[in-house]
Amino acid sequence: MKILVCVKQVPDTESLIVIDQSGRWIETASLVFHMNRYDEYAVEEALLIKETVQRTVVDALSVGPARVRNVIKRALEMGADNGIHIALPEERYYDPLTIASLIRRYAHDQGYDLILCGIMAEDDLQSQVGPMLAEMLGIPCATSVISQRLADDLTRISVEREIEGGERERFELALPALLAVQSGMNRPRYPALSNVLRAKRQELITIDVGDMPHTQGQASITLRYPEHSQRGVLLSGSMREKAQALLRILHAHAFL
Amino acid sequence: MHGDTIIIGEVEEGKVLPVTYELVAFARELSPGPIAIIILGRDMASAAGEIAQRTGLEVIAVEHAFLDRYSSELWKDVLTEILPRYYPHYIVAAHTSLGQDYAPGLAVRLAACSITSVQGIVWEDGAPVFSRAIFNGKLLMDVRPEGITVLTVQPGAFRPEVSERTAPGPVTRISIQLAPQAIVPQGSSSSAEEDALPLTEAPVIISAGRGIGKQEHLDLVYQLAGLFAKAAVGGSRPVCDLGWLPYRSQVGMTGKTVTPKLYIACGISGTPQHVAGMKNSQLIVAINKDPHAAIFRIADYGIVEDLMVFIPLLLEEYEQSSLQ
Repeated sequence: MKILVCVKQVPDTESLIVIDQSGRWIETASLVFHMNRYDEYAVEEALLIKETVQRTVVDALSVGPARVRNVIKRALEMGADNGIHIALPEERYYDPLTIASLIRRYAHDQGYDLILCGIMAEDDLQSQVGPMLAEMLGIPCATSVISQRLADDLTRISVEREIEGGERERFELALPALLAVQSGMNRPRYPALSNVLRAKRQELITIDVGDMPHTQGQASITLRYPEHSQRGVLLSGSMREKAQALLRILHAHAFL
Repeated sequence: MHGDTIIIGEVEEGKVLPVTYELVAFARELSPGPIAIIILGRDMASAAGEIAQRTGLEVIAVEHAFLDRYSSELWKDVLTEILPRYYPHYIVAAHTSLGQDYAPGLAVRLAACSITSVQGIVWEDGAPVFSRAIFNGKLLMDVRPEGITVLTVQPGAFRPEVSERTAPGPVTRISIQLAPQAIVPQGSSSSAEEDALPLTEAPVIISAGRGIGKQEHLDLVYQLAGLFAKAAVGGSRPVCDLGWLPYRSQVGMTGKTVTPKLYIACGISGTPQHVAGMKNSQLIVAINKDPHAAIFRIADYGIVEDLMVFIPLLLEEYEQSSLQ
């Protein structure tokens, strides 16, 4: 099996997020980045397959500026065999269609049997790159996948996808196929020391994008801070005063 | 009639899902032009009739035995064949597990622009710009479309209109030819287990997010729930992913949608996925040490404190007040 896992590097969303001067992206200089949590499940699932299916190769790929090399390294540390960096020239927003087009350009003739990615990115929450990439490659795709089982002859894969209300739908997909995995599918591993050492030495395959693909994408975006809704108030005072105020509110609404 | 805007409705086992009517409200805000609704399934006569009656809009029911069960391949094939006949400018789907699955690929197939999880429309020189939440709701991204556009709309973002009495819209039923598929649906199942007090019936829900930090800290959340006569404990997706709570306790898009009288969010950041499942609670209290957490924007009462310190203090104050 030849597996491609697409990983994205995202900023820690608990940090203070500030819009940059252009108004089109965020200030990234002071942010801490990590692997998109949903993609960690995709990497882990690829590694679980590698453990059960002989001669499986797992490639981890990320598209972005130089900083994203850290998450490719992280995937190698977890146990991926090869790291591929599609290098973007600038720190800015690239729409999902552009990202999917760039991955397609690399992946279409690599003979992947299975492509895995996360259901969405924690930062821009688009849920688009996976299903777009599948469509561009002309392969079937399932999103929100919570479990998978490969057929013995490795020509098909059975998946369960999670839908509303905790229900699950089951599908069988012909390989090659793309799965966009849901969180909770497995328990992503911590890197083993041997893989950490290997990843340190290993060169990444770097691909310069050259000319950007022309895509019928999102024409332009701007970012803004949400207006403070008038719905509620923040309780003020010392912590004890806030506790007392909350108890009064709960009493007044007859909850206590 | 050719629709400027075509809505792709959601119907489950013959029942029209409410999100379909939310999409109608969105489409009406988007464009004064004609709107039509497409639904796909095996026998859609009664669902089509209901939508036509309630909205007064044209309904196109595409029917085939294979459409009894959803598959993204099938839907993309059918929609790519049917949609161009109507020359839509906007194609509107719901940002549900269904819409997320087929809409981005459909956009690629139609060479259309794709914008997902839209929760608002703003206008710039008479042209619509679509707003969506990013970074756990801390920022909004305004996206200007280019050409024909496929949109997925966040459930709960638009209120279905109360129908004015109009004449029912026309219903067109189309049957189609279908080729064998690379995806074969195999049915569905649900986790049958339920709690003594199911989340959806609890008048009070105390909900835990990743901000509680450790599984042991759930004790505090249970203690807080203990103050109320009938309260259930719920959680955000990450808390269930970590195995701290079972998935049946999950509130949000892929979990339960709840409308309790009181919802106390403990250490929950307020992602659009979570908010979609609880924003219609009658009273919302949020406790989070991050003052920028999006949950505070929908909370009636917000408390910016570390809940590991605040909840014990609250319990202590409660003890004292009940002794008096």
